[in-house]
This record gives sequence, C-alpha cells and structure tokens, in this order.
Amino acid sequence: MRPRSARPLFAVLLVLLLVAACKGNGEEGAGTTPTPTAAAGEPRRGGTVVIGWSAAATGVNELITQGTAITTELNRQLFSQLLEEQADFEEHPPTFKPLLARSYEWSPDHKALTFHLREDAVWSDGVPITADDVRFTWQAHVHPDVGWDSAVMKESITDVEVVNPKTVRFHFSKAYAKQVQDVNEGGILPKHTWGKLPFSKWRDNADWFREHLVVSGPFTIAAWDPQQQVVLARNPRYFRQDRPYLDKVVLRNIPDAASMMTQFLSAELDFVPQVQPSDMERIQSDPRLALIPYWFRTYVYVAWNHRNPLFADADVRRALTLAIDRQTIVDTMWPAGTGRVAVSPILQSVWAFDRSLGPLPYDPQESRRILESKGWKDSNGDGVLDKGGKPFSFVLLSNAGNQQRNDAAVMIQQQLKQVGIQAEPRVVEFNSLVNDATSGTFDALVFGMQMDTSLDLTSQFGSNHVEEGNFSAYKNPEFDRLMVEAMSKPDIRDAKPILDRIQQILHRDQPVTFLWESQRLSAINRRVHGARPNVLFSLFNLEDWWVDAAR
Amino acid sequence: MIRFVLRRLAASLLLLYLVLTATFFLVHLAPGSPSMLLAGDQRLPVEQQENLKRIYGLDRPLPVQYARWLSATALGDWGTSFTYQRPVTSVVLDAVPATLLLAFAALLVEQAVGLVFGIMAARRPGSAADHLIRVISLLLFSQPAFWLALMAILLFSLVWPILPASHMYSVGAEDLGRGARFLDLLRHLVLPALVIGLTQAGSVIRYVRASVLDVLGQEYIRAARAKGISERRVVWVHALRNALPPLIQVMALSMGSLLSGILIAEVVFSWPGIGRLTFEAILSRDYPMVLATTAFGAVMTLLANLMADVLHALADPRVRHA
Repeated sequence: MRPRSARPLFAVLLVLLLVAACKGNGEEGAGTTPTPTAAAGEPRRGGTVVIGWSAAATGVNELITQGTAITTELNRQLFSQLLEEQADFEEHPPTFKPLLARSYEWSPDHKALTFHLREDAVWSDGVPITADDVRFTWQAHVHPDVGWDSAVMKESITDVEVVNPKTVRFHFSKAYAKQVQDVNEGGILPKHTWGKLPFSKWRDNADWFREHLVVSGPFTIAAWDPQQQVVLARNPRYFRQDRPYLDKVVLRNIPDAASMMTQFLSAELDFVPQVQPSDMERIQSDPRLALIPYWFRTYVYVAWNHRNPLFADADVRRALTLAIDRQTIVDTMWPAGTGRVAVSPILQSVWAFDRSLGPLPYDPQESRRILESKGWKDSNGDGVLDKGGKPFSFVLLSNAGNQQRNDAAVMIQQQLKQVGIQAEPRVVEFNSLVNDATSGTFDALVFGMQMDTSLDLTSQFGSNHVEEGNFSAYKNPEFDRLMVEAMSKPDIRDAKPILDRIQQILHRDQPVTFLWESQRLSAINRRVHGARPNVLFSLFNLEDWWVDAAR
Repeated sequence: MIRFVLRRLAASLLLLYLVLTATFFLVHLAPGSPSMLLAGDQRLPVEQQENLKRIYGLDRPLPVQYARWLSATALGDWGTSFTYQRPVTSVVLDAVPATLLLAFAALLVEQAVGLVFGIMAARRPGSAADHLIRVISLLLFSQPAFWLALMAILLFSLVWPILPASHMYSVGAEDLGRGARFLDLLRHLVLPALVIGLTQAGSVIRYVRASVLDVLGQEYIRAARAKGISERRVVWVHALRNALPPLIQVMALSMGSLLSGILIAEVVFSWPGIGRLTFEAILSRDYPMVLATTAFGAVMTLLANLMADVLHALADPRVRHA
C-alpha cells in the first residue's frame, strides 16, 4: 500500500533531514473528534503489535538511563509500581488505582503511609514480591552513586519500614501535597537479583541489568537489538492472569519522522505515539487508520530575561504580550483546533486551572501606549523605539529541529515590528540553547515546559531555581511564599484558592509570554483495539490492547 | 622495509594522539552540556546535575579531566557512555560489524562501477560513451550522499516500493530461518550500499579513466597491440594490471570520505553502526562516545593510508628510501 502522493512526503523528507536534530518537540497535536479504535467483538489473546518510536531505548534500568519517554514507557511495562496514576485530572486531582499494592492507609498525622502488597504478585522467576523489594527500591532511588534523575522526589521520605513481607510503611519528614506521587514514582525493583550488584557499580553496567532481568509487569524482553528494536513478550507470571492479550510488542526505533510515517501508512507499524498535524489528512483519508488526539502537558512560551533592563518591568512585558498575536500563531501552527492560546502554567485541561483567567488580548495600540508611558519613543524616526539613545532591540532564540518554535519566532518578529520593537530570531542547537538559558546569557527565547501532575511551579518560577527552569530569573517573594503554602497542604484540593492567586499573579507579572498549549496526536491502525494512550503514557494500558488477527 | 613501516606506524600513532586530543577539547568546549544533564523540556534539579557531574568526573577542571582521560585511554579504558551506561568500547564493538558490512558492500559497488565505467571511458577517449560517462561521474561526484539517500528512499520505498528504507532486518526477522534472514539482510543492504558506493564511484571513474588512458599510451601497449593481442585483452589485462597500483592507493585514500558517507547513510537509513552512534553522541554531548567513535574513524583512515604507503613502497623502491 502506498501513499496517495509522494510529493508532499518528499518535501517533508527534505525538511526533516535539514532539521535532523530532533529535540524538544513534545507538543505536536491534532484536533479531530476522538476516534479511538472501535471495539469490535470480544478481546482475543495472541498477536503482535509493532510500535514506531523516534528514540531508542537504552536500557532496562530506569534509574541509570536518561529519563527519555521511551525508557519510562518501557520500564512501566517491565516493572509495576505500587499504584497506577490515572489521567483523570480534568475535574479533580489524579486518582490512583491499586497495582502491586492492593490498598494503602495514612497515619493520623499524614506522615506515614502504609501499603499492603498483593499476596499473589511474584517476579517472573517465581520469587514473591515483598516489602524488602520496596525498601531496596527506595535505597536505590536515593543512593548518590546511582544518581537517579528523579531522586529529588524522594527527599522528604525519611525511611521505608518493612512491617512484614507484605506490608511496607513510608515515613515522611512532613505532610505535603504530592506525597502519593512522590512515593509512587518508579517501578519496584527485584532485590534478589539486582541487589547483588553494589550501587557504586550501577552507572557503568547497563548490560548487567538486562542479563539479570526479572520483571513484575505485563511484559518481559524477548529480544534486544541496539538502535534497532526491542521485542517485548508476555510475562506468564504477571499477576493479572488474563493479561496481557498480546503475545508480542515490537518497539521499533525509527529516528527519521518521514520514514516513520511511510511505514505507518504502509501498515508496517500499528501505532505511532506522536504524528505531526501535517500528517492528519493522510491518516484520516485511510479507512484502516485512526487518530487519537488528547491535550498534552506541554506549553510553549517566550522567556524574557529579567536581568536585561529591557524586560525588567512587568508593564513592558505586558506590552510585549499584547503586541504578540498569539491566536494567529496558534491558528497557523495548529490547524483544526489542535492548539489553543496558553494562559497559565497550569494547563487548561487541569482541574486547578483558574477558569476566571483568559489570554491577554492582542492589542498593539494599548501595547504602544504602555511603551510610550515607559519612555519608549521612536525619536530618530527609524521605525524602532528607543530610550536614552538605545533602541528596543534584542535576539530571540529558538532551537534547531523544532520547526514550530522557529516559525513562531519569525511571526513574533513580524508582530513586534508593528509596535516598533526589533526582535532578531536566531536558531541555535538545543544543547547550546539550554546552555544560554541556564547561564542567563540571552535576551529572549522560545521554549517549552512539560508539566507533571503535582502542580508545583517552583522550578519554573521560583526565585531559587534560576538554573533549572526559571530562565527568566523571575523573582517574586509573594509567589515563592504562596507556592510553599500550596504545596504544604496534605490535600491539594485545599490549595485551590492559593493556586488561583498564584496564577493571577503570574498573569499580572507576565514573567514569560505564554504562547500555546496543544494536543498530541497518536496514530493507530484499526486492527488494534482497546488502546487508550493518554497524556501520561502513550502505552498507558498496553496490557489491554488486542488485535483482530495475528500478523 | 620494516624500518619504513615502523616509521610510518609511529607517525600514525602521533597523528592519532593529536586527532583525539583536538577532539577532546573541541567536544568539551562546544557550547552545551551532556544531555544526561538536561531532561528535554523538563529540567533536572541543580543538585542532581552536580551529582551526575561527580559520578562521571565532569566536576574536575578540564586539564585534570584530560590527564585522567589520557592515562585511562592509554591503558585501554575508554570510559563509560553517558547515554548507554556501558563501557564505550563495548557499545562501539557492537556497532562495528554493521558498519564494516556496509563499508564492504559500498566499496564493492564503488570499485565495480568505477572500474567498469572508467575503463569503458578510457577505451575510446572523446567518444560519445566517454562524454556520457564523464557527465555521469561528475553528477555522482557532486551528489551529496544525504540527497541521493532521500531520493533512493523516495523512489524505491515509496513510489516503487520494492526495497526497505531502513533498519538491518524486517520486523519478525528473528523468527526466520538462517537463509531467509540472510536474504532479508541483503535486501536491507541494497539501498545504503548503492547510495554510498555511487557517490564514491564518481571520483573513482575519473581516476581509473586517467590512469588507464595513461597506460594505454605507453610503448609496451603499442608493442602488445603490434603482436596482435586482442584489444579486450590489451585493455583488461595488460593495461589494467599496470594501472592498478596507483588505483589501490586512491582506494585506500578514499577511506576518509567513505566513512563520512557511511555516517550520513547510517543516519538516514537507521543502520545500527558507528556512524549513527557518532551522530547521536555528538548531539547528546556523550564525550567518551564521541572520542571512541572518532578514534575508530581515525584508526580506519590511518590504517588504510598506511596500507597504501606500504603497497606503494613495495611497488616503487624510490619511495622506500625517500
């Protein structure tokens, strides 16, 4: 089966090659009505599904491998967590379903959390999964020589107590909002095998873990071809005896997005976690294929460097936002309602979003008025505002390999020109963009931020997080104080008024200009049923997927 | 002769050292930091970044890092990959067979096309065939490998889908029998090998043509013709044999450009070899990996040059004593 026309694909091929570096493109989407694969008949056992992924999995131990999406997805299939976080946070905080733990309870002071493990859960070699494994996992999480990316999530856990083989208790130094998230992060690891390698040796022995793999999740590894594919096979000792339905899942590494599309259209691939809006039409015109869109958790913004006197004043930043026609940018970049203008770092699909807020309007006249009141005038008639002999002129960075952000930078240049501001877009490699961002040596840059479900905005706007995510160097003691207060509520729902206040402050101060949030578009062949990719994981319920006929 | 080889070997080692030292400082001084310290659009906490730097020794001053790297490398320890958390030597060794296979196949295409068209052109200089071949060689020579690769995928995988566009094996190949698996591999080899081989062949055609033409003008060829030997035999045996030594040298010297062609082809065709490792290592600032793959490329190139020198010296005593 071949695509209808090769010409557009060819153009895509070329463009993709030119932008071969593919970093930070986590915000693609689409906007048709959700068309998940219709359930046809009863789920059946057997069959293989082939999934295309742009990055390669580098190992089975997520503690030492870089936290890329594919690594996290793969690890979820191999190692079950205590609980399974649900993507149901539109109306309320996310709920957690029992997984390895069948239940849990809090101590009255909310500083101890006790889990009761499933009696029937065993590792793939038949050894029971116990509280010792849970404690061992925590020890590995926080060990400095292991150097786990997410170790910071465990910093408030003081001890993990083995009460009995099937009961384990987490002790916290304090009660706070994301205790369950923090405890639950990371799959439980097998102490009886992986415990044999000292933590100090973990970082250079990725192969060892693959050679000593026992799993607790629905799948195990059947074949591992570096840079080519990982083949998953059913774990026969998975505690849900009727799952997974599939015999095999092939995770095929296809770095080139055009090849990925070609192989999906020719039905060589059954599922692609993320396709471009430009591919929508071709997929929708093929009755064998379907799109699954959902609002994603990335927002894209312009970070203004507050260390630069140009951007130090909140009113000036407000004027900049008013001068940028974000709706036009969104309409250009995200056809068919697949994107919307971003308003707040708490995304509009999240329960805690302050629904009283809307995007600032596009109002170049008001923008000019504010700028003039701040002393910015075009005194020499060259079309560029100036003050004290200095023009309002700066460099706007974006990263190579992300066409949307590069295009946005050019559109922003055009729009700011209308109010007499000179922005010079410059595309740099992702790595050096981050370097400039963290060291504060830039004027303005287009960047994206991926949100977790904790609603903790400290790393993005906290005064002490200038080298992590607060590139703008936004400093507001009121924000810092309110954020700490919100995050210290054991039930995050109680923090809603504070979170609203925080969002209003950010809306007023415009530390950054929010550009867009967008949908993510997963593409699937209709022979696959039951797939529910979501904002948390593309392979969220892989164990429930089933296919019409064996390949 | 042995002294000559030793002298050349010492020079090669010195060159290798200089190449790697330059690479070491280039990658470390390039803007940006290893991507293990970045987490895409999410940021790692500063403490975690510092801890990772400590684990991988990146917290030391650059001269100290250099000294440590140099002494470890001299003892055969190339360090641990930031991306794979494995010794880089084992990551590289895993990828070597795929690259050698591709290099060998590409070389075969390059030499076959180069010899056949080069000799055809040389037989009747100035003829229509000669002109055509010279135009073709110019075209091949001036094609960027990546462009030809995309064209090949477009033509043979999309418009006329007869060949796979990427990977070494098809999905499910692990369940095939040995023979079927080998055929599957060959099918996957065709496009990348043709693309690299053809882009390289352009210059080979020109060298072969010039070299054979040169030999055909020699007295002994006239003598051979005068003895009534068939023209075919004159060209393919007498002329070619004498034209070969300089060609072997050209072939060895083209190793560098062959390797860079492979780098591009491996990325475009998802071929799991050294080229793709290099590309990814540079993007993610995986310093030990960049150094190891650079060393691989440099050693291959230097070895090929050494071979060319030795062969040349064997054939021509004047070189040996120069």
